[in-house]
Amino acid sequence: MKDLFVTPPYAVCRLTFLAAATLAPVVLADSPQPMKPYTEAIEHTEVELEMVPIPGGTFRMGSPADEEERKDDEGPQADVTISPFWMGKFEVTWDQYDVWSEQLDQMRRQMLSIKPTDRDALVDGVSKPTEPYTDMSFGMGKGEYPAICMTQHAARTFCEWLSAKTGHYYRLPTEAEWEYAARAGTTTAYSFGEDPSDLDDYAWYFDNSDDAYHEVGQKKPNPWGLHDMHGNVAEWVLDQYDPAFYADHAKSTDPLNVPKTLYPRVVRGGGWDDDPDMLRSAAREGSSGEWKDQDPQLPRSIWYHTDALGVGFRVVRPMTEPTAEQRSTKWDKCEPKQVDE
Amino acid sequence: MTTPNTRRDFLKTSGKVAAATTLISTAAPKNVHAAEDNTIRIALVGCGGRGTGAALNALSVDNGPIQLVAIADVFEKNLNSTHAALSGHNKVGSKVDCPAERQFIGFDAYRKAMDVLKPGDVVILATPPGFRWVHYSYAIERGLNVFMEKPVTIDAPTSKRMLDINKQAVDKNLKVGVGLMCRHCRGRQELFDRIQSGEIGDLTMLRAYRMAGPTASAAVMPNDGSMSPLFHQIKNFHGFLWLSGGAVSDFLIHNIDESCWMKNAWPEKAIAIGGRHYRGDHIDQNFDTYAIEYTFADGAKLFVDGRTIPGCKNEFASFAHGTKGSAVISAASHTPAKSKLFTDQAMSKDKMTWAFPQPEPNPYDLEWVDLIDAIRQDRPYNEVERGVMASAVTSMGRMAAHTGQEITLANFMEHKHEFAPEIDKLTMDSDSPLMPNAEGKHSVPMPGLVKKREYL
Repeated sequence: MKDLFVTPPYAVCRLTFLAAATLAPVVLADSPQPMKPYTEAIEHTEVELEMVPIPGGTFRMGSPADEEERKDDEGPQADVTISPFWMGKFEVTWDQYDVWSEQLDQMRRQMLSIKPTDRDALVDGVSKPTEPYTDMSFGMGKGEYPAICMTQHAARTFCEWLSAKTGHYYRLPTEAEWEYAARAGTTTAYSFGEDPSDLDDYAWYFDNSDDAYHEVGQKKPNPWGLHDMHGNVAEWVLDQYDPAFYADHAKSTDPLNVPKTLYPRVVRGGGWDDDPDMLRSAAREGSSGEWKDQDPQLPRSIWYHTDALGVGFRVVRPMTEPTAEQRSTKWDKCEPKQVDE
Repeated sequence: MTTPNTRRDFLKTSGKVAAATTLISTAAPKNVHAAEDNTIRIALVGCGGRGTGAALNALSVDNGPIQLVAIADVFEKNLNSTHAALSGHNKVGSKVDCPAERQFIGFDAYRKAMDVLKPGDVVILATPPGFRWVHYSYAIERGLNVFMEKPVTIDAPTSKRMLDINKQAVDKNLKVGVGLMCRHCRGRQELFDRIQSGEIGDLTMLRAYRMAGPTASAAVMPNDGSMSPLFHQIKNFHGFLWLSGGAVSDFLIHNIDESCWMKNAWPEKAIAIGGRHYRGDHIDQNFDTYAIEYTFADGAKLFVDGRTIPGCKNEFASFAHGTKGSAVISAASHTPAKSKLFTDQAMSKDKMTWAFPQPEPNPYDLEWVDLIDAIRQDRPYNEVERGVMASAVTSMGRMAAHTGQEITLANFMEHKHEFAPEIDKLTMDSDSPLMPNAEGKHSVPMPGLVKKREYL
């Protein structure tokens, strides 16, 4: 698999948050090289992450008033411009997620008596979830199946860890980036057209999922090579849910509704327990406190949504890495602060 | 997830109706509680995450006035966190009346919290189970109804002691619930009836699994010196046998209990294996893996696998196999159980003959609905003997792994090793019953080398 991909271009990467002397030198160029797919190896593991280039452009966000099953929060449509980025070809899998959540890389490093590098020390310093009380895959499978049930805070922290781990800036997509990538240049209800009866070729959803998620990448990709954008698990994005935000940000570039409250925040794409209408490219859903209803502990964990069995995420990497200030004031900004009790 | 007007929402709505019906059916109280007024007062002893969750479940029972009036713990942080979480809760906050003078700290705080209550009120015992017999004794003395979290004992001497103490509670007609909430699951209850009526023949084998990564506080890092050994161990109580019985007692008891329930018997003996692999700097007493084989009187087996190693296959479920078919006792985690019956052993979809309708009511709520109903209706209600036996059978399996010997239930119950015989005399300044050695490590089980007790 690996030789199908080329090394990522470092042209515009500025590793401003990593000062370690052991890092590969950063080459700055005047203009970005063409973006290509690449595979990111996760050091001290057998795990890799496949990334697909998403070209920049302008698209019409939301659904037209005459789209079947359309909800009010999908309009009015707004033209939004998106800067280029890479996006995970698949939803983040348990194998990838557990490297962080269970510190498998650190364990393996210690078992093999490998001394930590400066970067390892940075990686080890990123928070991890408290140990759960239960099997958070709820018997649906681990390995190449999508990770689920994490809070948005957990998904964000995974990205923070992945950035430290790889030296490349990874984050959740914005809601606008997510829909742009899901549409992949299309304007129909789904990236393959209007007809939900074609969903079986592209998605896992209520009628065909047999009450569980499935290994990522089993269905056909969208036109830009992204799998499971429709169905399997709904995916966290960075934004606070606000039905009017995108209408208010028409003709904007890289809009982001920075979260100010814990609920609701946005997941997109629908999951294995949803009907076709929630799998449409424009469909939006807000999180709620009920996603923790079955947690028998109180206070409830900042890391786990015990009742969000159909929610996961995928990562993006912007082609132009933001400055530390841009990160802290926009991309990484999120309130209220989450701390373990 | 929350699509309106879908089949799932119809089902969810139906489920809510079913749950509500359960609540309504208990909502005709005879005013038998605490003769002079109908308010049930609650004190919480042990303000960890689960104790606080149990208090929330209790205050959510909607069949008459109920109030939390006192809380107790040995950590001030826990008191503050519990008070904030409950008093600020949008549904039960108004039922919390615990001003600073009714928040008690220390190893005698349990007495002060129970002294706030009147006979007939309820105390929640949710400290690590090593303390259970001490606190339960005082609750009986005070004439209180009790909800105690599982496990209820962690070794043989305290198991016998609890059975003995409990006779006084029965004599006083105290209502006592034990947090083995699977027993209150409506799906498992129907499954039990169907299995007992012979729908899958005689049970010849049961299988139970709780295999996940490091769980709760079972894997304990060294004490950094910021707290005494006693407090470091209480904070990480899943790591120490004298407090919790370790990962076997705290984590596997649900699967063991629900499996024995379906068999309608306690096993007579156990052999077990287990070991420690990725220990690193960890200083707890747990093994990373446990595999217990229990044998019932008729020769039927219950196999239990426990693992707390990251990166491996996860399974958290229990199954039963009979001469005419098989059953899913619980499918994934405690809840929902998603109990099912099949006519084959492979549990093929086309051989499924019954499945409990989804969604199912949450047993963490139901165990409180059942207890409060018993109190208000003044029905006999005491789950302690069952809780002790589930705890003892679980400890028997743990002991078989830790000693490397076959252990019979009869022999186990006569065993003399009490892990913390002076636990009722601990103070804030006490040494722990299990002190670390010069390297900061604790005594661990050594199968085959130490055979007559679980650790030296």
